[in-house]
This record gives sequence, C-alpha cells and structure tokens, in this order.
Amino acid sequence: MIEQYLLAALAGGVVTAILALPLHKLHSARAMARLRSETDTRVKTLSQTNEQQSALIDQGEQTNRQLESSLAQLREDLARQLKMAGEDRAALAAALEDKEQLLDQAKRIAGEASRLKSLAATFERWHEQMISLMTQNQDMHAKNHELSSIVKHVVIVSLNASIEAARAGTAGRGFAVVASEVRALAARSEELSRSYRDSLHRNDLTTTATFQDIQAGGKMITASLSSVEVLADQFQARPH
Amino acid sequence: MISSNAQASIEGILLRAARSRLPQQPDDACDIVPLAQGYDSAGPEANVIILTISSILFRLLLVFHFDEDASTRDYFVKDGGEVSLQDALLEICNLCCGAVNQDLLRYFPDLGMSTPYVLSARCLSHLEQLKPDYLSSYAITINGSVQLAATVCVCAHAPIDFVADMTAVEESSGELELF
Repeated sequence: MIEQYLLAALAGGVVTAILALPLHKLHSARAMARLRSETDTRVKTLSQTNEQQSALIDQGEQTNRQLESSLAQLREDLARQLKMAGEDRAALAAALEDKEQLLDQAKRIAGEASRLKSLAATFERWHEQMISLMTQNQDMHAKNHELSSIVKHVVIVSLNASIEAARAGTAGRGFAVVASEVRALAARSEELSRSYRDSLHRNDLTTTATFQDIQAGGKMITASLSSVEVLADQFQARPH
Repeated sequence: MISSNAQASIEGILLRAARSRLPQQPDDACDIVPLAQGYDSAGPEANVIILTISSILFRLLLVFHFDEDASTRDYFVKDGGEVSLQDALLEICNLCCGAVNQDLLRYFPDLGMSTPYVLSARCLSHLEQLKPDYLSSYAITINGSVQLAATVCVCAHAPIDFVADMTAVEESSGELELF
C-alpha cells in the first residue's frame, strides 16, 4: 500500500516536473528576453552618453585651445602694458622735473615783477622833475610878464618923447625920429613878449601832458606788474 | 582812428562821471550841454585842472574849467572848511576822473591815472598841438548857478572801437588817489 502511494507520488512528481519544465523554460525565455531588452536599452543609453561625452570632450578641447590663445594674448597685453607703464613712469618723472622748473620760473617771475614795481620810484622822480620844469616855466612866465610891463612903459615913454619932440618944433625933428624908432622897437618887443608867452603856455601844456602820461603810464605798468606777481604767486601756491 | 561808437562811448562815460561826481548833493540838478567850440574862461588869469588817463593804445586828457567866483566857492567849499577852493576842486576832479577810469577799465584792462595839475586856461588854445583824435567840450551848470566846463581830449596810437554799456550799475566809489 505504501509503495503504491510512493509510486503515485513519484509519478505525480514526474508529471509535475514534466509539466513544470516547459513552464520553466518559457519563464526563463521571457526573463532572458526581458534582460536582453533591458541590456539593449542600457547599451543604447550608454552609447548616447558616450557620444555626448565625446562631444563634451571635443568642446572642452576647443575651449581649452581658446583659453590658451587668450592666455597668450593676455601675456602679450601684459608685456605691452608693462612697457607702457615704464614709458609713463619716465614721462611722469620728466613732468615732475618740468613742474619743478615751472615752479622755479614762477618764483623768478614773481621776484622780477616785485623788483620791477620799484620802477614806481623812477616814475615819481620823473614827476618831480616835471614839477621842477613847471616851476622854471612859472619863473619864465613871471620874467616875461615883467618884460611885458617894461615894454608897455617904454611905449608910454616913447609916446611922451614924441609929444615933447613935436612941442620942440623943428629943433625936435631928429628927436621925433628917435622916439618913433623906440616906439617901433617897443611894439616889436611887445609882439615878441606875447609870442613868448604863448610859447610858454604851449610848453606848459606839452610838459604837463607828457609828464602826466609818464606818471599814468607808470601806474599802469605798476598795476600790470602787480597782476603778474599775483598770478605767479597763485601758480606757486596751487597744490600740485 | 577813434570810431564814432568809441567817441559816443567816451562822451557817455564822461557825462555819467560828471553827473555822479560833480554835484555835491545827489538831488542837485546838473545840466550838461555840448559846446561847439572850446570853453571861454571868464578871465585871462583863469586856471584849469588837468588829468590824464593813459593806456597802451591812447591817452585821454580831462580838463575841468572852473570860474573862481563866489557861487563856485560857496558850492564846492564846505561851510567853514579849511580847504581852499583849489584843493576842493582838485579832489572833485580827481574823483570824477577816477570814475571815468573805472568805467574805461571794463574795456581797456591796462590803464593808469595821473594826479591832477593846475594850468593856465590860456594853455588850452594849444590842445591841437597834441594832435588829438577826439576833442570835445561841455558846459556844465549845477543848480542853475554854478558854471563850469569839461574838455576831453583823446590822442590815440591805434584804431579804437568799443561800445560802452551805459546801463551798467555804477560803482558807489571812484578810485581814490592821494596827492
């Protein structure tokens, strides 16, 4: 009895195994197919990734080349800038030297302007000389006035002489000629005195106008020199 | 050599200076009339006051004629003043010329002014000897009683042309000159 059961169980197992084998094969085949499909998909994905990586590598190489080119350019620029900086330093040194020279010149100009302002004393001396000249002219005016008075007196005397000569009649004829001559000389002297007075007045005007021009011109020059001095001082005082 | 514009400008500057400096009170009337010929002084012994403004291009002589009569003395010499009429007039002429100088400085940066000097009026008949390019005289009457005159004589060494701005506000003080 037990043997039958065992046989039956064995037979059942064999049947089951026979039935299970194709199923197992089918299942394995499906699993294989699925694995193959997944593998293909992964391979494809990896290929795509690989292509992308290659493209990135190419791009990276190109960028690298560009960077190297830029670097070379920058090195070149740096060299040029260094050269220019050197030139600028030299120019700055020259400019500083020029500035020192200009300051020195401004100082000298201010000094000269200050010194030349003492020309005012010269102009003042000329003005004093004008006063002296005008005083002399006044003296000549006074003398000419005195001369004019004398001449007028001579005219009166000569007229009196003519009258006296006329009274003397024939005897006074010669004296009348002399009196007439004296009157003529007095008239010429009077004319000369008048002319001399005019000359003195013209001389007064010319002298005054000339010396006033000198005096005013002196003030003009002194004012201009003061302006130069102020400008030179401002140039020196300016922060450099 | 002196353009008509410059002549008119000089005249305007002179008249403005005269109106502002000669009257001793701001309300005093000051009538100015151009004279066709030079001013005839009252007497042969009359004096004038002369001043010069010099520039690089020209020299300008200002001559002031005053009659030394009672009305002039009463007007210009302050009550009980110790200053003589001549000294008072010298100061006034100096102020007037200073005002002209100040105005001209706007157009000619290099100017200088002389101190005043007194001359005989007879000298003025020789002004032509200076070969002026512009010569003009004006009769001035203050308050209808004080008679005086001014003559301007400009000798130029180069062409002069400028237009004075007569609308400019006048400075309150003229140039002070010590003499």
